[in-house]
Amino acid sequence: MGSLFRLTLHQLTGKWRLIIMTVLASLPVVFAWLIVRGTRAPFVDEFEAIVLSTMLAGSIAPLIIVAIGSVAFGNEVEDRTLANLTLSPLPRWQIVLPKVLGTLAVAGPFILGSAFATGFIAFNRDATAVAAVTAGIGVGLLMYTSFFVWLGLVTKQAIGVGLLYIVLWEGFFSGFVEGIRFLSIRQYSLALMNGFDPRRFASEAHVDFTAAVIVAVTVCTVFFVLSTRRLRTMDVP
Amino acid sequence: MSGTNPVVRVDGVSRWFGSVVAVSDVSFEIGPGITGLLGPNGAGKTTLLRMMTGLADVSDGSVTLFGQPVRDNPALYGRLGVMSEHETVYSFMRGRDFVRMMARIRGVPDLDRAVEKAIAQVDLTEAADKRMGTYSRGMRQRMRLAATIVHDPDVLILDEPLNGADPRQRVHFQNLLRRLAGDGRTIIISSHILEEVEQLAETVLLIINGKLAASGGFRAIRAALDKRPYHVRVIATEPRRLAGHIMQLGSVDAVNVDPDGALVVLSNNVRDLQVELPRLAQQASIGLRRVEPLDDSLESVFGYLVER
Repeated sequence: MGSLFRLTLHQLTGKWRLIIMTVLASLPVVFAWLIVRGTRAPFVDEFEAIVLSTMLAGSIAPLIIVAIGSVAFGNEVEDRTLANLTLSPLPRWQIVLPKVLGTLAVAGPFILGSAFATGFIAFNRDATAVAAVTAGIGVGLLMYTSFFVWLGLVTKQAIGVGLLYIVLWEGFFSGFVEGIRFLSIRQYSLALMNGFDPRRFASEAHVDFTAAVIVAVTVCTVFFVLSTRRLRTMDVP
Repeated sequence: MSGTNPVVRVDGVSRWFGSVVAVSDVSFEIGPGITGLLGPNGAGKTTLLRMMTGLADVSDGSVTLFGQPVRDNPALYGRLGVMSEHETVYSFMRGRDFVRMMARIRGVPDLDRAVEKAIAQVDLTEAADKRMGTYSRGMRQRMRLAATIVHDPDVLILDEPLNGADPRQRVHFQNLLRRLAGDGRTIIISSHILEEVEQLAETVLLIINGKLAASGGFRAIRAALDKRPYHVRVIATEPRRLAGHIMQLGSVDAVNVDPDGALVVLSNNVRDLQVELPRLAQQASIGLRRVEPLDDSLESVFGYLVER
């Protein structure tokens, strides 16, 4: 698996991708800094809604992961090198796992770094709150990664579909439609933040902490299994 | 293959994409040695090979390798080496690293020795530490072949492997494949070039329009091809006098004189005509300026075989 992990790292760390990730990851940090330094400090609820929920959990994190995760397999499908991997005696999960870990290794530092720095600035070095933000976003990172890696295997338009999902589902519908909130990764990230630090994120978290943990584990497992299954049943180009 | 267990068995295999039938009810068995899969572009060779490697599913029928289904059977892939027609490589990777990675994920035990041996076999030792993005097309193909054979597979399936190879590389490639086949391996190569398969394969499978048009030893198929009606264009110093002589040959059915003075000869046995025509022209003191086949394309050869 080490070989495939290194291969994945190499494939996912192009110069432009790193630049785009750096810019995206910087946005919430800069935004938080500007707000805190502003003439009218926002209410905590406002900050949680705008910067953490909408921006970080609902936009920046999924955008970075869709740019990385969906091409973990997507590029190999596109340039027809996937057969190099699938025509090996490795069990299929041993092909999927390095792709998922590679995505986490590349996208993770940017997203977690962004979450940590944003929380650090916004919550005035409150360690519990910072840890809650970082952990909640981290679990969201796991869910988004397993989802977008799978998406890269099922469609050649994974980035387009992923962007639609982020904008329409996570960004729009899940914020307004009650029923859809239970199918939103962003909502579970917020619920986890609230679970880790009950003093905060109460107005944004609409899902129970225990349910969020169960759903997070389920989402990661289901999409990992679906990726493995897809790799077994698809026609490899 | 009767009496022995075939290495590869393709049984009633079809594959369709929507309403398009790419491969239709194809059955054959393949044993050790080199087998050529021959057919024009778009005949269904690649689809068939992809089903034989398990990369693509069959719509109907079955493909087995050593008696086991090849689809979704990773354990079997350790015995299989596949080189697809797509020449894309990891351009950022050095050749040696690519072969090493392929060896590692195939569980090759003595990694260093196997990698060096495979690279030496394709005669690329000196270029092994260059990035594959800097390779010529022929070098990429050879390094891909090294990665295909590094785990010493029992079965090699190579889709248009000689694409991009220069004449010297072709000879090297062919010698290597013969050597590998001589060790008892089963090698299947596809090509749309008749001569390429003729030089390598003992057995030929002719695929046309997704169907198996003919199979067997190359000589028998070649003989069948030689007996087909065949148009030859002849440019001579005295075409009308030559036409009169040609009509007396048993291998000729008809002769037409084109407005530009060229003769178009319809032969029923082109091999005999090849021998008789120069002799006849010499006896009649007629100069032959040009003799060229008019329907020697693979498509026309295959067309004939399908119509038979």
